Amino acid sequence: MADMLEIDRLSFRYPEAPREAVSGFDLRIPQGEIVVLAGPSGCGKSTLLRTVNGLIPHMYSGDYAGDVRVGGASVKGSDMRDLSQKVGFLFQNPENQIFMFTVERDVAFGLENIGVPRDEMRERVDEALRLLGISDLAQRAPHELSDGQKQRVALAGVLAMKPSLVILDEPTSLLDPMTAGDLVALVAKLRKDLGTTFVVVEHRLDLLVKVADRLVVMSEGKKVLEGTPRDILFGDDAERYGVATPAVTQLQKMLARRGLATTGTLLTPGELAAELKGRNR
Amino acid sequence: MMWLSGGFVFRRGDSPYHRLDPRVKLLISALMFVSTLLVRSFYELLAVIAVMVAVAAVATVLKRVGRTMVLTATFSAFIFVINIVFTRNLESSVLYAVRFVAIVVSTSLFFITTSPDELEQVMKTFRLPRDVVFAFVTAVRFIPVMMLDTIQIMDAQKSRGLELEKGNIFRRVRNMIPVLIPLVVNSVVRSGELAEAMESRAYGAVPRPTSLVQYKSSVTDKVVALAALALFIAGAYSFYYILPVQLP
Repeated sequence: MADMLEIDRLSFRYPEAPREAVSGFDLRIPQGEIVVLAGPSGCGKSTLLRTVNGLIPHMYSGDYAGDVRVGGASVKGSDMRDLSQKVGFLFQNPENQIFMFTVERDVAFGLENIGVPRDEMRERVDEALRLLGISDLAQRAPHELSDGQKQRVALAGVLAMKPSLVILDEPTSLLDPMTAGDLVALVAKLRKDLGTTFVVVEHRLDLLVKVADRLVVMSEGKKVLEGTPRDILFGDDAERYGVATPAVTQLQKMLARRGLATTGTLLTPGELAAELKGRNR
Repeated sequence: MMWLSGGFVFRRGDSPYHRLDPRVKLLISALMFVSTLLVRSFYELLAVIAVMVAVAAVATVLKRVGRTMVLTATFSAFIFVINIVFTRNLESSVLYAVRFVAIVVSTSLFFITTSPDELEQVMKTFRLPRDVVFAFVTAVRFIPVMMLDTIQIMDAQKSRGLELEKGNIFRRVRNMIPVLIPLVVNSVVRSGELAEAMESRAYGAVPRPTSLVQYKSSVTDKVVALAALALFIAGAYSFYYILPVQLP
């Protein structure tokens, strides 16, 4: 079976831009993986994501070379109607992707646009609301919701389209640590229950490394690092590309320098605490 | 301007009137509006206002409508004074002044009992193009967001020493510029993000999108609409043919 996402030698340059925003990018993501995309601002992450859900080249034009395929079908050759049902895109600011006056109508927005019959739409909306645990908010207006709730509403709208690939653009940047943790747990649950593939752009790696299968680091439009979170975060290059390594990996590196080496590859505070405790015995 | 927003902003309610088909509510308000224009004497106008008060009572919005009436009355006072100065006719001056209150109440009754969702439905029944309806929907949807934006920008600029409440009128208007520019920039950025999100969720993919909710007129709606029409015709008929009341 083909991979869920295949990016081959992709390059894209915006009109009038001096250099390519993405250049010669390759990536393969099998179905059901959670991949974290990291890199400094302006490194081309946003552009790359927009080539996956078709905003590039269908909404923004420019010099496009190479190919992006989702579930085996070329993004360039599909229209937004098909793409909207394959690739879900959760944008950074939930406020700006909620259009309607009530939560349930907003969740139905995409389904209305592709002409899903009312009965089926009702089912899919209810299911999406249930999946995110917000059935009780169905009749609320957007301005009556907290940021975390808005985020869930926006995600419900994305999931109601039953996409096989979901892109999350800095999903925790507006959330407090507790809510951010809930969101990460939700991503893991959706992958497990529905087999959804996730591409997550994120700066706060400490929450995501627990569930991520792979970490891809971009710099100046190119892929510079790719591997398991463990390999990359404990490698020497991550900091060079401005990846904010979680405090727990920094602590282990510090301990190692002082000759108090642990196994040196632990990703969560829990694992580290358990190991340090075990040693004291 | 606060009295205006208070008199026209929808708040959720659960009265039989709120539950009516929005098109019926529009019809009732339109009939009341036209009635206020048709009346020729103060007493007839009082009858129309009595109907409005009855509707407000059913809709359990008497208090809000009362407040709107009182606040509108201050405006009416102007109308009255200007009329009495120029026409020296007490009856017509009173009529014009009270008529203004009645017009405001008839429209306000529609807006305070009709949710934006229902307004959208009404627009759809008039077969307005989807883009127009959607533009209206997003405009209303983002009113609270923009208000919050404005407050935040004002606070930010005040904390940097901008004095919004000082100086004469020209100075004050000029002082609003540092608030307006970020607000406009914010809105442009926001609309760009909205466009991307719309596109990603297949806006405009099919010529005839479906709809999650369907408003159907119930028997009650039809009865109420017919009753309202009957009352209107009977009222108009009696005003013009049976009770030609003229003040001395």
